[in-house]
Amino acid sequence: MAGPARGTFPRRDFEREPARRVFAAELRESRIHFREGEDEKSPTYILLPTGERCNRIFLVGTLTEKKKQGEQNLFYRARVVDPTGTFFIMAGSYQPEAMQQIARIDPPAFVAVVGKPNVYETPDGAVLISVRCESVTAVDKNTRDRWVLDCAKATLDRIDALGTTPDGQRAVEEYRTDPALFRKLVYEALSQLSL
Amino acid sequence: MDYSDTADRISLKVKAKGHEADTVKIEGKLRRLVEEFGVPPAEAERTVMNELAREFSLNGLGTAAGEEKSLNALMAGEWATVEAKVVSLTSAPSSAIAQSGILADSSGAIRFVVWAKANAPLLEHGKWYRFESAVVDEYRGSANLKIHSGTVIKEISRDTVLIPEVTPIADLTPGIGSVRAKVIQEWDTTHDRMLQSGLLGDETGTVKFVIWKEEGKERLVPGMVYTLYYAIVDEYSGRYSLNLNTATVIPEEGDIPVSSGDTRFSGALVHIAPGSGLIKRCPVEGCNRVLSRQNYCPVHEIQPGFIYDLRIKGWLDDGMVTKEILVQREVTGQLTGISMEQAKELAENNPLGMDEVFLRIRDLILGRYLSCSGREIDSRILVNSCEFLTFNPEETASLLNRAGGAS
Repeated sequence: MAGPARGTFPRRDFEREPARRVFAAELRESRIHFREGEDEKSPTYILLPTGERCNRIFLVGTLTEKKKQGEQNLFYRARVVDPTGTFFIMAGSYQPEAMQQIARIDPPAFVAVVGKPNVYETPDGAVLISVRCESVTAVDKNTRDRWVLDCAKATLDRIDALGTTPDGQRAVEEYRTDPALFRKLVYEALSQLSL
Repeated sequence: MDYSDTADRISLKVKAKGHEADTVKIEGKLRRLVEEFGVPPAEAERTVMNELAREFSLNGLGTAAGEEKSLNALMAGEWATVEAKVVSLTSAPSSAIAQSGILADSSGAIRFVVWAKANAPLLEHGKWYRFESAVVDEYRGSANLKIHSGTVIKEISRDTVLIPEVTPIADLTPGIGSVRAKVIQEWDTTHDRMLQSGLLGDETGTVKFVIWKEEGKERLVPGMVYTLYYAIVDEYSGRYSLNLNTATVIPEEGDIPVSSGDTRFSGALVHIAPGSGLIKRCPVEGCNRVLSRQNYCPVHEIQPGFIYDLRIKGWLDDGMVTKEILVQREVTGQLTGISMEQAKELAENNPLGMDEVFLRIRDLILGRYLSCSGREIDSRILVNSCEFLTFNPEETASLLNRAGGAS
C-alpha cells in the first residue's frame, strides 16, 4: 500500500542492482565506467551507448569455447555468442559457484549468464569488456529465443528513451549514439529467430 | 518567523467587534511571547486575543476557545470548539487518561482523550456534547482531540443520525475509517492480550485487522462480511492496520467480491539463494525456524527430530527491477517436478546430501523466465503460483516492426 513517507523505514538498506539486458554488439561499444559514491564498496557501473548504466547483466547465448587458466588461482575464460556478437565471460576463485558450473558444461551449449561487466584497457589502448560471472546455467533454445526477444525489447525501450534521462544525455554526448544503428542491430538479431 | 498573518487575523476579529487594533503592536506581542518566552504560536495567539478581549471587554471572540469547527476541519496544533457525538469509548490505556474513544459529527470522526486531571464529567456513549477549548494535536500520524482542565463540556441534544461514509480499503488513511469488508484470513494471535487478528478484504485491497481483549468484544467469523464503523487506522512501517476495538461491528448478509491482493511479476530468475531446496525446520510448536546443518535451531538448540520442507528463495529480475521471491513447497514441486518425497530420497541416497537437491533445482530453474504471483510484503513475493515463460514467435513480429518501423 502506498502510504505516506512518514514512519516508514526500509527493511533493507540497499536495493539489488537489476540485471540489464544488452546485446554483445552494444556491450562491446561501451567505454565509460564509473563508481557511484566514494566508498570502496560503492557499486561500479558501465554506461551503455543506448543510455543506461548497468552494474549487472543477464545474457543467454551459446557457449562456444572455454579455457581453464592459471595454476594457483584457477579461473575459466569462455566465449558466449548471441545473434550480434560475442561476450567474453570469466569466473575465478572468487566466483567458485560459477566456475564449477562452467567446468561442468561442455561447449557448444546454450547458457544463461548473470554477471558483472568490467572494462579493461590494454597497454596498446584497446578496450575489452569482460563479464565476471555470478552464475552460468545450461538452458534450452527456447530460453535463448525468449532472451533475444527480452533483450530486443529492452534495447528498443532504451533507444526510445535516449536523451530523456541524465544517463541518456551523457550517452548521447560521450558516444554520439546513432539510434538508427542500434535499431538495425535489434532488427538483425530478431531476424535470426525462426518465425 | 512571520507574525503578520496571525496579527492580521487577530486585528480583523477585534475590528469586527468595532474596536481599533494596532497590528504592529499585536505582532510585537506575539513575537515577544514566541521568541523570548518560547510560547507555542497557537498559544501566543490565544494569549494576545484574550488580552485584547479583556481590554475591550469583549465576549465570544471565538479564538480564545478556538473557532467552532467541524471535525474534518481540525488541524493539529490548534484550539477548537466542536459539537460531536461520542460514538466509541475504549478502556483507558493509562491512569493519566480518564476516558478515550472516538467523537463523530456529520463531517467525520476523530480520536479523543480526556485527561484524568481534567476533572471532566464522564462522557456517555451515544450522547452529543459541546467541547469548548479543546486542543487538537497529533498522535500516531492522525489528529487527536485532547480534553483538558480548561475544556468546557456541555451535553447537548441532537437527533441527527450519523451514518459514516464507508471507505474502500485501498483509500484508507491513518485516523478513523469505516469499511465494508470480508474476513478473508484469521491468523494466530501473537500476543496474550490479542483476541483476534487477520486479514480483511474488499474489492480494492486487503488490510490487517486486530481486536484486543476487552469486555464485550467478540471475534469476527472468517468468511463473513461486516460493516465496521469507526475503526482506528494505524500505520506501522508503511502498512496500515485496523484496530477494531473502537469499531461498531455490523454483520452483513451475503458476500462481496474481494481483491486477492496478489502481485504478478515476471522476469528471469537471476539468483537462487542458499537455504533453497530441501531444508530442515525446527519441530517445536510455533517455531518452524530453519535449522543449520547441525540441526541447530537458534532458539531451541539441537533438534534431531526436525521436519523437512522444500522451497526456493531467489531473485526474479525483469531488467528494470529485481524482486525477492519465496516459493513454497507445493509450487516448488510443480515447478521443478521434484516432490518432497523425491527430494528426501535424493538427499538420503546421495553423497552430497541436501546439496544435491539444491544443485538439481538450480540447474532446472536458474536463468529461466518465470511468471510468479503471490502476496508482496516488503518487495518480497510469497509465491503461490508460478510458471515458466516460453518463447512466443508472435512477439518477434511486433518487435521487428518496432525495430524496423522508425528507421
